[in-house]
Amino acid sequence: MTEPTTDSTEAGQVNAEPDFLKVAGLHAGYGQARVLQGLDFSVARGEVCAILGPNGAGKTTTLRALCGMVRGRGSVTLNGTELLGRSPEQTARLGVAHVPEGRGTFNDLTVEENLRIGAHVRTGRWRRGSAERVAVAADLERIYDYFPKLRQRSRQAAGSLSGGEQQMLAIGRALMLRPALLLLDEPSLGLAPLVTRELFEIVRAVNEEERTTVVVVEQNAQLALDVAHRAHVLEAGRLLLSGPSREIREDGQVAEVYLGVSVRSAKDGGAP
Amino acid sequence: MSTIVATLGTDRARRLRAALTTLLVAAVAVSAPFYFAPFQVFQLTMVLLYAVALAGLNLLVGFGGQISLGHGAFFAAGAYTAAVMLDRYDTGHLATLPVAAAGCFLLGLGFGVPALRLRGLYLALVTLAFAVFLPPLLKRLEPVTGGSMGLTVDKLQPPAWSGMAEDQWTYFVVLAVTAVSLLLARNLLRSRVGRALLAVRDNESAAEVMGVRLSLHKTLAFAWSALFAGVAGCVYTWVIGFVSPDSFSFVLSITLLAGLVVGGLASLYGPLLGAAFVMYVPSVAQDISEAAPGVVFGLLIIAVMFVAPTGLAGLAGRVRGTAARRLIRTTTPAADDDRPSGSEPSAPPTPADPAAVDAEPVGAPPRPEKE
Repeated sequence: MTEPTTDSTEAGQVNAEPDFLKVAGLHAGYGQARVLQGLDFSVARGEVCAILGPNGAGKTTTLRALCGMVRGRGSVTLNGTELLGRSPEQTARLGVAHVPEGRGTFNDLTVEENLRIGAHVRTGRWRRGSAERVAVAADLERIYDYFPKLRQRSRQAAGSLSGGEQQMLAIGRALMLRPALLLLDEPSLGLAPLVTRELFEIVRAVNEEERTTVVVVEQNAQLALDVAHRAHVLEAGRLLLSGPSREIREDGQVAEVYLGVSVRSAKDGGAP
Repeated sequence: MSTIVATLGTDRARRLRAALTTLLVAAVAVSAPFYFAPFQVFQLTMVLLYAVALAGLNLLVGFGGQISLGHGAFFAAGAYTAAVMLDRYDTGHLATLPVAAAGCFLLGLGFGVPALRLRGLYLALVTLAFAVFLPPLLKRLEPVTGGSMGLTVDKLQPPAWSGMAEDQWTYFVVLAVTAVSLLLARNLLRSRVGRALLAVRDNESAAEVMGVRLSLHKTLAFAWSALFAGVAGCVYTWVIGFVSPDSFSFVLSITLLAGLVVGGLASLYGPLLGAAFVMYVPSVAQDISEAAPGVVFGLLIIAVMFVAPTGLAGLAGRVRGTAARRLIRTTTPAADDDRPSGSEPSAPPTPADPAAVDAEPVGAPPRPEKE
């Protein structure tokens, strides 16, 4: 097991709830392939946390385990509620919004319909009728303020948007859930660097204004570290390194991981 | 003229046009029975009632992305519900409608359960089994259903105050049922449930991540779809006044699906076009070849799918889109005319980009057809 002590040191200065999301001993995989082999980390409320690592390290699997798309063992608690063993639909109801890899927009629906699907779980109950509907309409405007391009295209089919716009739509849709926890899987995938930067700026703005806790998985480490408060580096399904973004950026190990050189630090060697 | 064209793509023009179209369609629909012979009115009535069944099937297949080769069975269930109620309990015609609708909704809920575990061809097979086993079952339940002799019940009769002939009155009743059904289907699709249904079709896992209950919405799709088929079946009994197991062989299910695909999947008025196809084309085929109308019918289906792979509704949309673009191009100022007409793919003369895109899916929903 990697030591959890390094986790809650510096984020504590911003936050009273360092264990808002707490992952302990998380194992997960697909069929025979075991991808995550005992993962421990915490994310404080209102924090942006980046998960970095080379291909196949288990970044995406971590997110999928958090939202219930992949079964996991161990424990994942959000604000004290256990998330493991729940379906994606149930975790969504608990406030976990997942922006899947490759966006997952509904291409035959219009932009606005896509956003309204995001509020699906909020408008379910009869008794929450009109007040919630007003709130959803207000949120729609708020999303359009974050992403003015979506406003222009609100009646277009999502399939006709560019890749960057679709990614904005996917994030906007997730925000319509009013999530307690926003999971972003590779938002930069297939996008131009400029568009990616714009996206990350918006993620930063959302985090600052809404105090939404964000976990972002990203290949583009530089960009992710610019936005994230803390970062966790995975390798081969284990946590290699955790710390405030600033420290991670200066740490030579990261470069080595991304160069594909297997660095076995002393603390990691103890794992079974 | 050019100002009219310039405003074609705008929102207000669209709404105006929609209102005008609705009025026109309503006027034609209401006046039709007074101009046509009784048999033609009867045919129109049948088109309307098939359109209800197809609209239901469209919810499931076109918008829900599932498949059913067993909708003839729901149709039969609705028809028999009405017939048995009229025959044994002598309820009025109107009372049979809610019972048939509710009954088929529940039946559909039950049938939605296998749909949760099966998809594609496997689901098609299970639903086909339902369609195949229902007629023999109806024959066995002779005390209730009248066995293979079927049941003969009263048709709709015009009340004295209306002063209409039987075919006209029947037409208007069915028209009302169809109008309400199609409106209901449309509103259903624009509701929260409809959005969820479309989302599930588009991207199942993304929908689930957004908190859409897959099992609930897939089952509901079956239930709603069965409800419409049941309503159509119930109305069928009112119109024909006779039901027998042989009226609802599994060929009916196949015909319904073929009609829907020919009419246009996931289109709001596709069911109407498909129903007209199913109603009229077999008799056209009969005229072409006395010996093998089935062959001609089949060839015509192939021909339509070749010319219009998105169905008749898709073809109509495309024709209208091209016409609108032509109109815009020919009426925009001369500056564009000396441009070589070969280089048109990016369509430079259109005023503003969003307007050009808006011009594509003219008509009913803001949702474009699938290409």
